[in-house]
Amino acid sequence: MNLEYGVAGVLNFGFIAVVAVGAYTYGVLTLPNPAANGNFEKYVFGLHLNPVLAILAAIAVGCVFGGVVGLIGRHRLRPDYQAIMLLVVAAVALAVSEADVGLVNGNPGLSLVANPLGTTGPSGSNGWLYVAIVLGICAVSYFVLRRFSDGPFGRSLRAVRDDPDAALAIGKDVVGLRLVVQVVGGGFGALSGALLVGFIGAWSPSAWQFAETISLLTAVVVGGVASNYGVAAGVMLVPVMLQQLSQYVPGLNTRPQLAADIGWMVTSGCMILFIWFRPAGLIPDRRPRYAPQRRRWRWSYAPQPSLAPVGPETPVADGPAPAVSDPGTWLSKSWAMPSRVPVAAPPTATADPLLEVSGMVVTFGGVRAVDDVALEAKAGEVTGLIGPNGAGKSTLVSAITGFVTPQAGRVVFDGRDISRDSPHRRARVGLVRTFQLARQFPRLTLIENLLVGRQGHPAETALGLTAGLRYWRRAEEENVERAYELLRAFNLHAKANHPASNLSGGERRMLELMRALMTQPKMLVLDEPLAGLSPAWSERFEEAIGWLRSTGIGFLLIEHELGIIERLCETVVVMARGQVLSIGTMKDLRTRPEVQSAYVMG
Amino acid sequence: MSVFVSAVGFGIASGAVIALASLGFTLQFGLTNTLNIGYGSFITLAAFIGYGFVQLGVNPWVTMLIVALIMAVGSAAYYSGFIRSLVRRSVGFGSLVIATAAALIFIEYTIVLVAGPTTKSYGLTSGTTYHLWDIVWSSQQLAIILLAAALVGAFQMTLRMTRLGRALRATAVNRTLARACGIRVERVSIAAWMISGLLSGVAGVALAMSTQAFTYTLGLTFLIVLIAAAVVGGIGEPLGAVAGGLIIGLVTQISAAYWNPAYSDVAAFALLIAALLLRPTGLFGGQARRSNVAAVA
Repeated sequence: MNLEYGVAGVLNFGFIAVVAVGAYTYGVLTLPNPAANGNFEKYVFGLHLNPVLAILAAIAVGCVFGGVVGLIGRHRLRPDYQAIMLLVVAAVALAVSEADVGLVNGNPGLSLVANPLGTTGPSGSNGWLYVAIVLGICAVSYFVLRRFSDGPFGRSLRAVRDDPDAALAIGKDVVGLRLVVQVVGGGFGALSGALLVGFIGAWSPSAWQFAETISLLTAVVVGGVASNYGVAAGVMLVPVMLQQLSQYVPGLNTRPQLAADIGWMVTSGCMILFIWFRPAGLIPDRRPRYAPQRRRWRWSYAPQPSLAPVGPETPVADGPAPAVSDPGTWLSKSWAMPSRVPVAAPPTATADPLLEVSGMVVTFGGVRAVDDVALEAKAGEVTGLIGPNGAGKSTLVSAITGFVTPQAGRVVFDGRDISRDSPHRRARVGLVRTFQLARQFPRLTLIENLLVGRQGHPAETALGLTAGLRYWRRAEEENVERAYELLRAFNLHAKANHPASNLSGGERRMLELMRALMTQPKMLVLDEPLAGLSPAWSERFEEAIGWLRSTGIGFLLIEHELGIIERLCETVVVMARGQVLSIGTMKDLRTRPEVQSAYVMG
Repeated sequence: MSVFVSAVGFGIASGAVIALASLGFTLQFGLTNTLNIGYGSFITLAAFIGYGFVQLGVNPWVTMLIVALIMAVGSAAYYSGFIRSLVRRSVGFGSLVIATAAALIFIEYTIVLVAGPTTKSYGLTSGTTYHLWDIVWSSQQLAIILLAAALVGAFQMTLRMTRLGRALRATAVNRTLARACGIRVERVSIAAWMISGLLSGVAGVALAMSTQAFTYTLGLTFLIVLIAAAVVGGIGEPLGAVAGGLIIGLVTQISAAYWNPAYSDVAAFALLIAALLLRPTGLFGGQARRSNVAAVA
C-alpha cells in the first residue's frame, strides 16, 4: 500500500508540476483528462507494443489533446469562460469514456494492462525497480519542465497569468503562450497517466473524476503555486495525507468508503484553508533578484536652474520626488538602441503620419461611443487627445490598439494596415499603449515587470527553449542593463527587486511608462498618464515625454490637464460625444467656439 | 411526430427545473461576478434536506417551501462568510473558483458522511397524469412547471417593478456606480444570494422529486447542465438563464428520444461548447467584456 502511494506521489510529481506550471500558474484551469486518454490505446488494439513506444505515443497523444483543448478555448480571454470551457471538456471526455464501449470499454474500463517490467501488479522487487525508473523519468521531466517555468519564458508566462491585457499591450501572444503551455502540460499529464496505468494495471473512468482534479489542485495550492519545489512538497503531502489518515483514524470499519470520503473532506478543507490563509502555498515562488551590471553610470543628476523643485520638500504620500536632471544626459543615447539587438531604430520625424485612423466606429448596445473618427499622429510629435468625460477617448484608443473591436474603421501604422491585427501584434510593430488604471504584474518584481517588455527575446523562441541559458545569456544581460538604466533615470532602482505590488500610485504610473518604453515603441499611446500623480512626478513625466519625443518616438496623449497639453502637443484633437470636434494647435482651439462649449457643457 | 411532441413535453418539464437552478446560478455570477462551483452542492444539499423532511412525513410541497427558506439563509451565509471574506483577501479570480470547487467537494462529502452513500428516493407516487396532445405530464411535473413559471414571473416582476429589483439591476451593471448612488450594494448582494439560494432549494427538491433515485453526486452532475443553460442563455442575464434552461431541457430530451439516452448529456455539452465558441455571451448577453477584472468589491 505504502509503495503504491509512494509511487503515485512521485508519479504525479511530473504531472502536478505541469499542472502547477501549465495550469494554475499561467492562469488556466485545466483538468487531468490527458492522463485518462493517452495511455492505453495501443494495448486495446492488441498491438502489444513495446512499453517505451507506448509511452512515447501516450505523450504525443497527450500533447495533441492538450493542444486541441487549448485551441477550442483560445479566443475567450476571460478566465471565467476558460474555466467553464475546460470543465465542460472534462465532463464531455468523462461522459464519452463512460458511455463509449468500443474504444474504452465504458465504465468498467480496462484491466490487466501489462506492467512494463513483466509482472502484473505491484509485487516484490519489481515494484521498487519500477519506482526507480519512474524517479529517473521524473528527474528528466523536471529538467525539461524548468526550461518552461524558469527564465525569460517563465517570466512571460507569469506576466500572462497576472494580467493578460497588460501582457498583450507589450506584445505577448497570450493565446499562443497558453496553447504552448497546454500542449506541454498535456504531454506531461499523459506521461504520468501512462506510468500510473502500467503500475496499477487497470484503468477506469471512476479513477479520474472531478474530485481527483481537486486533489491535484490542492497539492499545488498547498505546496506552493508556481514553485517546483513547493509542488513536490504538496504532492508528497496531499496523497500521503489521504493515505495515512485512513490508517490511523480509529473506527473506520463501519463502511469501506468512509476513509476515502473523510480524505476528500480533509483535502478540500485544506485547500480552502490555504487559499484563505496562505494562498501562495507552503513554499512560495521565489522570484530571482537581478543585480545591476557593473558598467559605469552614463547619466548625471545635474539640476537645471529652471527646473528646480518648487517650494519646500514636503513628504509626498507616494514617496520623495526624484531629483530633476538635465534632460540631455537623462539616458545615454545608446539606451535607445542597444548594440546587438536588431530592432528598428525609432523613426525620424517625417512628413508622413505614423498613425492614421479613418472612419472609426464603435458601438456598445445602442450607443455610439466612437462615431466616425479620423485622426493622424506623426512620429517625433506629441498629438493630444482631449475632450470631456464620456467623449469616447479611451474607447477610441482601445479600438486603435486592438483591445476593442470596432464596427468600422481603418488603422494604418507605419505604412501597414493593422486594422485586423490582434493587440499583441500591434504592440510588436511598435504601437504600444498604457492603461488608465495602471496595471502591473503584481507577483513579479519591479525589474521583472520591465524585463518582460523586451521584444523578441531569444529565450522565448523554440531554439532558445531548447538551447538553454547559454544561448540567451547575453541578450538577458543586456536586457537587465537596459532595465536598470531606465530605473535609475526614474530613480526607482532601489526597489528593483521588490514585488511590483509594493509600489505606490505614482510609481505604478511610472512603471506603466517604463514598461512601455522597454518595448522600444515607435508610437506610445498614453491614456491619462498624469491622473493621480503629484506635481513633482507630473513634471518628471513631462520631461520624460519631451525627451523621448526628441528620440523620434511619437505620442498620442490623452489628458485632462490642459497645461501639459499646451506645452507638449503640436497637434490637439478635441472629441465630444464620440465625434471629433476640432483639430489644431492649442492656441487655435482656445478660440473656437465649439470647443469652448463642449468643455463647458460637457 | 408524437415522439417529438412527447419529448418536447419532457423537455419542458426538465427544462423548468434547469431554468430555476440556472437562474439562481446566473444571479450569483451576474451580480457578484462569482463563478460559484459550490452551487452544485447547494442543489444536493437541498435534495437531501428535503429527503430528511419527506422521511419525517412532511408533505413534499411544504418540504419544498421549508427547504427553500433554509437554503436562502444558508446561501446568504455562504456568501457573506465565505465568498466575501475571500474576496476581501484579494485572492484573485482563479483561486476563488478553485475555492468554491473545494467547497463543493467539502459539502458533498459532508452530506455523504451524514446521510450515507446509499441512493435515496423521495418515493413519491406518480399521481394523476395529464395529457395535452401527445404530451404526458404527471401531476408533479405539471406542478413543477407551473411553479417554475410562477417563480420566474415573480422574479421578473421584482426586477422591473420594485426598488430592490432596480437596485439589483444597477448593481449588476456597475457596482461602484451603484454604491456611489447610495445603493447598499452589500445588502443587495446578500439579497441576491438569498434569492438564488431559495431558487436552488426549490430546484433541488424538484430535481429529487423528478428522479427516481439520487445520491450525493446529484449536484455535481447537474452542475454542468445548469452551467450549460446559463451560458447558452447568457450568463448573468435572468431571462437568459430561463431560456437556456428550457433549451437545454428540450435538447437533452429530444436527443434522448431520437438518438441515445446515454448521450443526452453529451448533446447538452456539445451545445454548450458551440455556444462558447460562437457566442460566448449567450442569447441575451451583451457585448463581451474583454477585461478580466473581477468586479466584486
